[in-house]
Amino acid sequence: MSNEAASRATQDVDAHTGVGRTFWGRLSNWSPYRALMGLVTASPRRQFLILAIFPLLWVLTQHLGPMLQMVRVSLTDAYPVAPGVEQHFTLDNYARFFGDQIFWQPFFRTLIFAGGFTFCTLILTYPVAYFLARHVSRKNQMLFLLLLLIPFWVGEIVRTYAIMILLGNTGALNLVLKTLGLIDRPIPFMYTSFSMGVGIVYLTALYMLLPLYSALEKLPRSYNEAAADLGAGAWTRFRRVTLPLTIEGISSGCTLVFLISTGFYATPVLLGGPSTTTFAETIAGFFHVAGDQWPTGAAFATIMFFAALVLTAVFQKLMNALRKGDTK
Amino acid sequence: MNRGNRILLSCVYWAFVLYVFVPLILMILMGFKDSKFIGFPIKSWTLDWYTGVFADAEILSTLGYSAAIAVLATLISVAVGTWIAVLLEGRKFWGRTAIFGMTVLPALVPGIISAIAFRIYARYLGIEPGMGAIVWAHAVHNVPFVVLVVMARLSTLPKSQLEAARDLGADPIIAFLRITLPYLVPAILGASIFCLLLSFDDFVRSFFLGGYEPTLPVLIFAKLKSGMSPEINAIATVALVLTAAIGIWAERFTRRMNKDTKA
Repeated sequence: MSNEAASRATQDVDAHTGVGRTFWGRLSNWSPYRALMGLVTASPRRQFLILAIFPLLWVLTQHLGPMLQMVRVSLTDAYPVAPGVEQHFTLDNYARFFGDQIFWQPFFRTLIFAGGFTFCTLILTYPVAYFLARHVSRKNQMLFLLLLLIPFWVGEIVRTYAIMILLGNTGALNLVLKTLGLIDRPIPFMYTSFSMGVGIVYLTALYMLLPLYSALEKLPRSYNEAAADLGAGAWTRFRRVTLPLTIEGISSGCTLVFLISTGFYATPVLLGGPSTTTFAETIAGFFHVAGDQWPTGAAFATIMFFAALVLTAVFQKLMNALRKGDTK
Repeated sequence: MNRGNRILLSCVYWAFVLYVFVPLILMILMGFKDSKFIGFPIKSWTLDWYTGVFADAEILSTLGYSAAIAVLATLISVAVGTWIAVLLEGRKFWGRTAIFGMTVLPALVPGIISAIAFRIYARYLGIEPGMGAIVWAHAVHNVPFVVLVVMARLSTLPKSQLEAARDLGADPIIAFLRITLPYLVPAILGASIFCLLLSFDDFVRSFFLGGYEPTLPVLIFAKLKSGMSPEINAIATVALVLTAAIGIWAERFTRRMNKDTKA
């Protein structure tokens, strides 16, 4: 498109001639429309307000509203409120969390698992992203990347099920190990933290890969060449040049994957076992039973949300400090 | 040394490709197994599970239900997301950062928390669990993705085009409809497909906001909880083929459109 398109767009709505030949021309000459436009464009300030009011209302009521309502419910003793019952303010729901091991144990387990899985995803995808950005010609990069994107269009449940078939007692992995003569009887991979980890890494790998890839792709190759000219070996080049300059990608990839991993519900239910109960399952439990448990569930979800936020904020601060320290 | 590195890294890449594809391929294969029992090796093959799926009225209506939800949610997300993107891109005003932060919030809230926050809010607004509630939750959840994609495209729109249109007498609405919107079409289509897939594949929000009628992922989940069977593989494969086909088609389509508008 060029400026010609712009002039084409308006040649038939020229207000000075007052002649409209097309739909747009007729529209801009239609008096109710002109009156409306007169009102809208009376001043830049009013024009801006009209543009801004709907997005502002939408994000306040639809994006922020659910979170605020969740926090509000977490501070009450009954929700949904039955007729004739009075709702009271209380902190009991939060106290309940600290009072019982079956509540805080899954909480810490979830955070530790999510951190561990995030680290595994980073280790697994960094070389892949590095290969794509550095060793594949620009023409082929999109193709190679697309190949990896295809499985990620498939939904969470279907991919979780695929992992169940891979790791089951009569699954493919056990069959391969048995055929190779490495094992006599199947290894029970399923319903452990291992199967859960394989599933979660499988589901989140792309969210790590894409930020890493774009960080590595932006990094000029000349930096590495300069370091090589100055006598730095491959490992030193990686540690002193590539790694510090891709910290931003690492940081955003880890944040994304961590937040997503803490929120999985179906995957731990299907791939995990009794010893790997996650906090998502604990929270969900309060919504399956009668409604009077909702405030507790809301309080637990609030705790988890703020814990995840604080942890990722601290992590980003750390990574920022690391980057500044390294490039000094 | 460099050559050795390269070979090693390419091995890692192809191993990763295997890791992402093999589980799905195994899952597809299992749908053709001629036995009720899930597991390897597969000794005889059949198409019965597929004929069963396409003859099952419940599964077919679930498929339609999921598709309808995805389409409705996408229409809302795209309209709202484009509006927000137009407000945020290239404009400096007081509170812009706050609005941007609130805009991306739904994309950053972990799944389970987002689902129960929507569940509570639906109750607060008086929306009954069911199709309306799912459409609403999916729409809100997908808005941030539309905003980010549309903003990226909008930032490359030459300012001179809008100025030229305004100089020639176009009012803001006509300038938007005839200059900005046509320029945004590739981004809007790309974002729409992404939203369709997100909504169609979503489990956790559909699960907590659904009524008696399940969406496809919820149906697969319910069947899995009562035991694995090649029937589930057939259903999952149908879902997989649908989503992957739409994804690949969209990728090609949006890339061609991007090329066209660049030329």
